[in-house]
Amino acid sequence: MQWVQVLVLGLLLGSVYAMMASGLTLLFGVMKVVNLAHAAFLLVASYVTYVLFENLALDPMVSLLVTMPLMFGLGVVLYLLLFPRLEDSPRYVEMTVLLTFGLALIVEGMLTFTFTGIFRSVRPEYASSAVRFGGLFMPTSQLYASVISFALLIGLWLVLRFSKTGTAIRATMQNRSAAQIVGVNVRRVSALAFGIGMALAGAAGSLLSFMFPFFPARHWQWIALLLALIVLGGMGSIKGAVIGALLLAVASSFVTVLAGPTWSPITFYLTLFLILLIRPQGLFGAKVRL
Amino acid sequence: MALLEIDNVVAGYGGGPDILTGVSVTINEGTSYCIVGPNGAGKSTLLRAIAGFLSPRSGEVRLDGAIMNSARPDQMLAAGVCFVPQDASLFPTMTVRENLVMGGYLINDRSLLRERLHTVFETFPALADRKSQNAGTLSGGEQQMVTLGRALMIEPRVVMIDEPSLGLAPMIADLIFEKIQGFKDLGITVVLVEQNAVKGLKAVEWGFVLDLGSLEFEGPADGILADHRIRELYLGKQLAPRESGS
Repeated sequence: MQWVQVLVLGLLLGSVYAMMASGLTLLFGVMKVVNLAHAAFLLVASYVTYVLFENLALDPMVSLLVTMPLMFGLGVVLYLLLFPRLEDSPRYVEMTVLLTFGLALIVEGMLTFTFTGIFRSVRPEYASSAVRFGGLFMPTSQLYASVISFALLIGLWLVLRFSKTGTAIRATMQNRSAAQIVGVNVRRVSALAFGIGMALAGAAGSLLSFMFPFFPARHWQWIALLLALIVLGGMGSIKGAVIGALLLAVASSFVTVLAGPTWSPITFYLTLFLILLIRPQGLFGAKVRL
Repeated sequence: MALLEIDNVVAGYGGGPDILTGVSVTINEGTSYCIVGPNGAGKSTLLRAIAGFLSPRSGEVRLDGAIMNSARPDQMLAAGVCFVPQDASLFPTMTVRENLVMGGYLINDRSLLRERLHTVFETFPALADRKSQNAGTLSGGEQQMVTLGRALMIEPRVVMIDEPSLGLAPMIADLIFEKIQGFKDLGITVVLVEQNAVKGLKAVEWGFVLDLGSLEFEGPADGILADHRIRELYLGKQLAPRESGS
């Protein structure tokens, strides 16, 4: 029974990771940009959630309705402002890595300036309660976060599968120039994908705010973890990101039980190391030609 | 009637040198064209500049007399100018049918889409047999048929095809050229770029000879084929593929 318990806790956390990672891998798939500022923007949403909770006592789960559109808008504006001028650059990949790294630093600096470096957390009532199903114990906060994450993932899947914009996004992910040839406005699609990725980061920020304490430099830990997840799944594969996230979250929760919480983060980095050695394209990624 | 007028266009990539150094050509509705010339003459670049993938640095691209210099590829396509690049640009993990449906991305009318799909399968019966197969698993010739079929989906006014025979066995290439010649009956103006000048010129009515980024000569395709001076000056290499190995 104890192993089932560990598995369930891993899956609960994994679904939140999956939602965070799918936004990041979507961006990579559409634009071939690794957004190193993804987790920094996630923290922006955490702080927005924090401010709304402290001042208006707004439930962090309700604040998703604020953070998601806010981050979507920010994503679209940032994309249109910063990325089109890099498109023709022969050093596109290097430029975008530097650009998003710089964005992460700027966001971190602004957060530190505004909120200082101390730990914050959002503590609604359910943050310290738990529910029991049979013999299984589940922290209420993780259960809620997991349900919302799954709902958002299903929403993302529906949009990508059945909407015209979703079709355009998938086509652009498969072959950007072919998408352009059949009349997809790839710049518009990229802006939308950036917005959707950021909106998912916003949702994750709101959910994580009541699961873990946070401080401005915390985003480095999150982005490192996220990169491990999307590399495992295969860069640009949403299915891969979801499966990679669930696998690694479960693995790390077993490591926590077997070896202690100190060893849990190493699960991610060791996997990253091994996957790059054995199967660099990840579980579901296409082989990258350089 | 002039469909497309390319007026003294200068264009190049990124911060690089001018590839087109002032090209002027006119494409009339209903005529078929082939652009020939040595490697690096700017043939593909000219098509890209017309299709909106590349903005001219100077000069004008006019469609029905309207200046289209800053139009995006999707806007040019919506206006009826379709571009088929040389690397069979397909969606590898989508089926043949899905690839063709993507070709009708700009069409919102579902029944029209179905009708066009039907027409494409009639034109390319080989594709109908493989409609549920992933495009990435097709042979080179079949992939080229998918790109051509996909172009037909929006029934463009002009289709510009870059190197349709590239990498194909001669028999398959002949079949592709046959299909392209059939486009004329569908009321589509064809502009070809072809390394294999003889094959290209035989398939069309009018030829453009491009060299070093500008138009050197134009005239009826059979005239160019018969003109020994032009063949020697500009087309020597392509007319003797065995010697040049290309």
